[in-house]
Amino acid sequence: MHRAKASDDVFRAIADATRRAILDRLRAGPANAGALAADFRSSRPAISKHLRVLRDARLVVDRRVGRERVYSVKPARLQSVAGWLEGYRSFWQSSLTQLKRNLEEK
Amino acid sequence: MTEIKRGTAKALADLTEGEILATVEIAAPLERVFRALASREIIDWWARPGVFDTREWTGDVRKGGRWRASGIARGQPYVLEGEFLEVQPPTKLVHTWQRVGIPGAPTTVTYHLQPIDGGTRLTLRHTGFVPPDACGSVGEGWQTSFERLERNLSAAATTSDQPSSLTGAAVTP
Repeated sequence: MHRAKASDDVFRAIADATRRAILDRLRAGPANAGALAADFRSSRPAISKHLRVLRDARLVVDRRVGRERVYSVKPARLQSVAGWLEGYRSFWQSSLTQLKRNLEEK
Repeated sequence: MTEIKRGTAKALADLTEGEILATVEIAAPLERVFRALASREIIDWWARPGVFDTREWTGDVRKGGRWRASGIARGQPYVLEGEFLEVQPPTKLVHTWQRVGIPGAPTTVTYHLQPIDGGTRLTLRHTGFVPPDACGSVGEGWQTSFERLERNLSAAATTSDQPSSLTGAAVTP
């Protein structure tokens, strides 16, 4: 199934700590491979390889600006990936907040 | 002057490990907090008015004992159950968590309680989630019901954070 395969790519893409860090960095704003390589003290080819994986998983998009490729995140895509645990995350966040409220008001 | 933080609990999802990490500081002694984790008191805090509502909880709180909770989330009834794996009052509680009627391996909830100035730091790890594509409809069933639940949680639950999932790995103890 195509959709399942696309999601597989996404999970593979975010299984790597450097790629998660790159996504975090790009959430702050678009950057080119050179800037990312400097940020991560990594070689430019290594960063380019990570960016390719992220692009294939459609987590980032690139556009040409002069001679550079500038990368940015696709927030909607990221949200959909985060979605499978988001329900539990917010369940615990609200439940524990409620617990705190209950125990402190008595 | 207390050191206890005001405000809300913090919860993060770690997509890579398939787990939730959450923490809250409570101005109450460990024993008091522990009692709320392993008693019918759960119906007062696994709850959010009009969104999800745990109505019943029963449990045999000892290693190997079982618990069961039922309620309504967004108009749909649900039943949860599990087994206590570790019961060490007032510092640690571990139990499995499974939704009845949905196949698949149970997940595990671990609570740690630490004394802090003026109260208790409660840390929760809910582990063992498998990405939806790897477990097909199992994950989807859960996902659907909790997404429905999530959509209806107020903005308070989402707070100001962006999807914290990506930074989750960094806070793994």
